[in-house]
Amino acid sequence: MESAEAPQISGVRSGSSGTCAAEIAESLRFEEEIQSLIVHPNFEASNGSSFTALLGLSGNQAAELLHEHGLTAAASSPAGAAEMWRLRLGGDRAAGELRLPLGCSPTFPSDAAIVESAARFSVFASEESPTSSSGGGISPRLKVEQLDPDSPPSVPVLPSPKTKRSPAKRKGTCEKSKARGTAKKIKRTEEKKDPTKATATEEDTADEKLPYVHVRARRGQATDSHSLAERARREKINARMKLLQELVPGCSKVGNFLNHSRDLMITGTALVLDEIINHVQSLQRQVEFLSMRLAAVNPCIDLSFLDHILSTQCEPGAGAANGREALAWNPAPWSPDSAIAGEDVRRLLLPRQYQVWHLDLLGPQQSSMAWERDATPHHNALPFPGTGTGTSLFGYDSTNSGNEGPPAMRHSCLFQSGPIGPLTM
Amino acid sequence: MQLTSSFKLNFLKQMLLGFQLSAVSSNNMSFHERKKAIKLSADAAIAFARGRTRWSQGLITNLSKNEKNKDVLKGLLGREYDELSKPCCNSWKIPRSKKILRRCLRMSSTRKMAGRAQHDVGKSILAKTLAKKRIQVLKKLVPGGESMDGFSLLDETLDYAMSLKAQVDGMRCILRTSEALNFK
Repeated sequence: MESAEAPQISGVRSGSSGTCAAEIAESLRFEEEIQSLIVHPNFEASNGSSFTALLGLSGNQAAELLHEHGLTAAASSPAGAAEMWRLRLGGDRAAGELRLPLGCSPTFPSDAAIVESAARFSVFASEESPTSSSGGGISPRLKVEQLDPDSPPSVPVLPSPKTKRSPAKRKGTCEKSKARGTAKKIKRTEEKKDPTKATATEEDTADEKLPYVHVRARRGQATDSHSLAERARREKINARMKLLQELVPGCSKVGNFLNHSRDLMITGTALVLDEIINHVQSLQRQVEFLSMRLAAVNPCIDLSFLDHILSTQCEPGAGAANGREALAWNPAPWSPDSAIAGEDVRRLLLPRQYQVWHLDLLGPQQSSMAWERDATPHHNALPFPGTGTGTSLFGYDSTNSGNEGPPAMRHSCLFQSGPIGPLTM
Repeated sequence: MQLTSSFKLNFLKQMLLGFQLSAVSSNNMSFHERKKAIKLSADAAIAFARGRTRWSQGLITNLSKNEKNKDVLKGLLGREYDELSKPCCNSWKIPRSKKILRRCLRMSSTRKMAGRAQHDVGKSILAKTLAKKRIQVLKKLVPGGESMDGFSLLDETLDYAMSLKAQVDGMRCILRTSEALNFK
């Protein structure tokens, strides 16, 4: 089936730039493709339809993308991808206004669908990779969305190489979404490389605002401003639903059909909303539960070690001393501004990109290393925090020297008596 | 919003500060009080670390409703407290005007839809009801959600869900480390 498709697509691809060959030559790395797709400002190439123009991607590139993955990916769900794409775009256009740029076969409705799917694929990468649901989510999702009765030539879905994607590439995704022309404003900052915290991407795209969405009138539908506005609303909602769908694990299996049929779309929406609600509720419950457990751990909670840990996030070495000075916070004279040495520590820590969540990996040697580097004069008697608890809180010894390893970690003084300047957060 | 390490660090620090402020480590708190204080610190920390979003404002507002929490909150958030705790002023007016709009729209659209097949209308009504119910539930879940319309609600939900995840991760981390250290 792929071979049957190839000529079609190659025909399609004739219009695309010559980079496609180079891309194919590369290993299946989604990010590069997306980047190259972004680079092509091919808005004019698309037909005059406003939506597709906005969507930016010409069909060629989308098809080329498709084909590329078709070549290299295992035939996981042959019909799924094309159908999904057809759906995506097709729903709205089903009534006959579908115009594909440059003689794409109708089975590559391309623009919206492919762009979205491509965006989603990258999003998936960064997304909850631990969750297996999203892992299998792409293919099943594509299968599920197979509503179109006529089966277009199959294009294997790329088994999204999520693990290969780096956060840096998410930037490409976002830019691509921008190129998509829904004019979403993309706020991005650099992210840390932790793959488990990968829910970030949806947020990026979710942060994008849709100032306006061009909507084509469906054949046979009213074209007055009200229904157009309605449809625009629906499209906005759908876009967000998709993002939410990716965020919530397990949700991708629930088809959220873009207007393939209205009722299906809406029930799909309802199901997605259900999933989201469940997810948020479960997260809230987890917070409750964890706070309960933390309360149980108390009063043994030894906040000193926590501060120590925060300070050891600084690179041991030159930074450490400064970091610890910065962290020197004297809780007793509590002024609102001295909230935390947040500013300084942040400045110090940000470039390091430490993974905070692996605190328990902080072995004894790390702590002792950190302490060793630190000048012992720092470990003086601490003025004690006005929390009113005695030693249980900050079990420190003024015998400081903290070079003994884990016990020292607990007992070393973390708080220094330096005054804290007003720190802005 | 991105789950940056700085965000998480901020959250952690704020939360620890909150613990100190509310003196959770003291022995004179009951279990429940302690749990509430911890939760308060965690919520305030996440709202603070997130910055100014609708849900964070809503969260702080909800937390501030309890008088006792206000001092802790003020101390924790500092000057951010004032900014965060004033919600969008006309937030209640927005849903009302939207309802009016929607009613007009609905009337005009039902008139148009009268020509269509009956089952179509039925289906769409059913579907809309389903979606509406869930949106209502979602509004209750997300802090400050009542005053948001559909789109922003979804946006905020996304944001909120991410922050919740960060919160859960952070708390779990703290818990793990403290437990590990306690056993030594």
